[in-house]
Amino acid sequence: MSAIRIVLKKELLEILRDRRTLIAIALATLATPAVLFVISQVSAKTATQAYTIGYSGQIPAGLDVLFNATGLKLEQVDDPAEAAKQQVDLGVLFTTSAVEEYYDPTRQSAQIADVRLQEVLSQYDAARIAATLQQRGIDPSSVLNPLPLNQHPLSSPIKAAGNSFLSFFLPYILITMSLTGGLSAALDTSAGERERRTLESLLLTPVPRGQVLVGKILAVSLISLTAALAAIASMLIALSQIHFGGSAGAFQVELSPLASGVMIWLAVLLAVSFSSVTIALGTLARNFRQGQAYATPLYFITIFPASIILFIPDFNPNLAIYLIPILNAVLVLRDAIVHGAVAWDALAVTTLSLVATGGLCFYAALRLFTREALLVRS
Amino acid sequence: MTDPAVRVDRLEKQLGPNKVLRGISFEAQSGQIFGLLGPNGAGKTTTLRIICTLLAPDAGAVEVLGFDTRTAPQEVRRRVGVVTAEIGVYPRLSARENIQYFAELSGVMDGKVRQRVEAVIDRLDMGSFANQRAESLSSGQKQKVAIARAIVHDPPVLMFDEPTSNLDVLASREIREFMVESKERGKCVIFSTHVLHDAERLCDRVTIIHQGRVVVSGSTTEVRGTHQDLEDAFLAEVEGAPA
Repeated sequence: MSAIRIVLKKELLEILRDRRTLIAIALATLATPAVLFVISQVSAKTATQAYTIGYSGQIPAGLDVLFNATGLKLEQVDDPAEAAKQQVDLGVLFTTSAVEEYYDPTRQSAQIADVRLQEVLSQYDAARIAATLQQRGIDPSSVLNPLPLNQHPLSSPIKAAGNSFLSFFLPYILITMSLTGGLSAALDTSAGERERRTLESLLLTPVPRGQVLVGKILAVSLISLTAALAAIASMLIALSQIHFGGSAGAFQVELSPLASGVMIWLAVLLAVSFSSVTIALGTLARNFRQGQAYATPLYFITIFPASIILFIPDFNPNLAIYLIPILNAVLVLRDAIVHGAVAWDALAVTTLSLVATGGLCFYAALRLFTREALLVRS
Repeated sequence: MTDPAVRVDRLEKQLGPNKVLRGISFEAQSGQIFGLLGPNGAGKTTTLRIICTLLAPDAGAVEVLGFDTRTAPQEVRRRVGVVTAEIGVYPRLSARENIQYFAELSGVMDGKVRQRVEAVIDRLDMGSFANQRAESLSSGQKQKVAIARAIVHDPPVLMFDEPTSNLDVLASREIREFMVESKERGKCVIFSTHVLHDAERLCDRVTIIHQGRVVVSGSTTEVRGTHQDLEDAFLAEVEGAPA
């Protein structure tokens, strides 16, 4: 049996008997559906929740009906501005010439009530204008909508909305789980080896140290990959069962075969790269806890690129940007999900970048693993 | 006289700011227990680590059964088994799995691994706890696992670095008996310790080192000389050694 296989077999056996790693994978699998369920419940509640408008003055005829139909409850108050601070979600003063609105932008309920109020008033205005025009014998549509827009979506808007959501959420899950899923195992197999005082015995065997390291990296990569794919599978299942905003069918998620293939390829590259990085950091550490301290900045480094899609959704970089590890994986995966297509040159650069990152980290880990200070310090 | 199993020649080593070894030389023969003695910090562990190729010497040379540690480290590792006071084992593997892992890594042929592992378990009387996870073993049982993994590939050279320092009386006696048994089987046994009483009872030859230098070397009887025991001889030599 080759040394790499021997080390891989033993590391997997130890990892699978380690409660910490198993709990991490189980939590990763269950956490995403749980979070999505909470989001769906909150969004459903927000969509059906009624908000209170404190008003004074005379309500224009028919407007109260529109308020009720839009989930805005009217409540008469003496001072709408004062009431809007706490008593009600929004304050409104009806005068003969205008509607004065009072709201606190720091309150989320006020923001939602404000959007609904503007919607109601624009509907009311349009209805009044249309009635006036009709009274004068003018076709309202020729004035209010002289250039009608007829939309012909080339793909399902419901699916597009789902994919847009997925293009943020899936890379985020993939990257964070590729890192965290195998982190405990990586530190256990590197820093833990020093902490348990087994490193010296291991290095006394005639096996080349590079082969020992490859066996360890492969074992941790397999665990990372399993954690990431399990979390994504559970997320996709959850998304197919949960409806957002309280309306069934308003949101449809479907991962194309191309996107699935790209995702798995990137998952493999990320798992190997992260395993090399975390094992290198673990080799630098004297014990598990120190290894955790060294690995903590990695969370921020990985979460930042995943978040860029949220803040700059239409970020279309040139090819050089694809040299930046992790960010490149996010961008390639986003394109595969949203557009159902892959820019092969971008994927090639991404692959090259992630392989080079993994290779550099492997080299660093090997250097650390073979230096005398490793034993003298322990 | 036959060629020595281990030949250490003018070994020098600096670790950080400390010059740990300043020209150590000695030879150890097969079929003998060789005592490497000295107070804590004398350089015993560093010397053993160089012999088993974990550290590289700054100057001097080490040969194990004719293989130079610098040019043929893997050949040296195949021929050496090391037992230290550190009895670190893989806690989530059983005693048997721990030993099997090292048998496979040490190059025991695929078809012979099980046979060698069982032979070592029998020899060290580990049958009652061989299937228990290492995390649940006592210190003495863990020390047996550490010995088993060091000898599972049947190395001709065995090195014991303060092997009894963390053990109780019974476990310590078993280690001593094992060293004698290994010597009788023709192995070269190098025993590093600061417990001179143990050394006096076990060793055929001893070398005492102090501050990185050899202060005296010879058969146990020669080194003891006119002193009451090895401890007196050791103190006389150390107190007379140059600072």
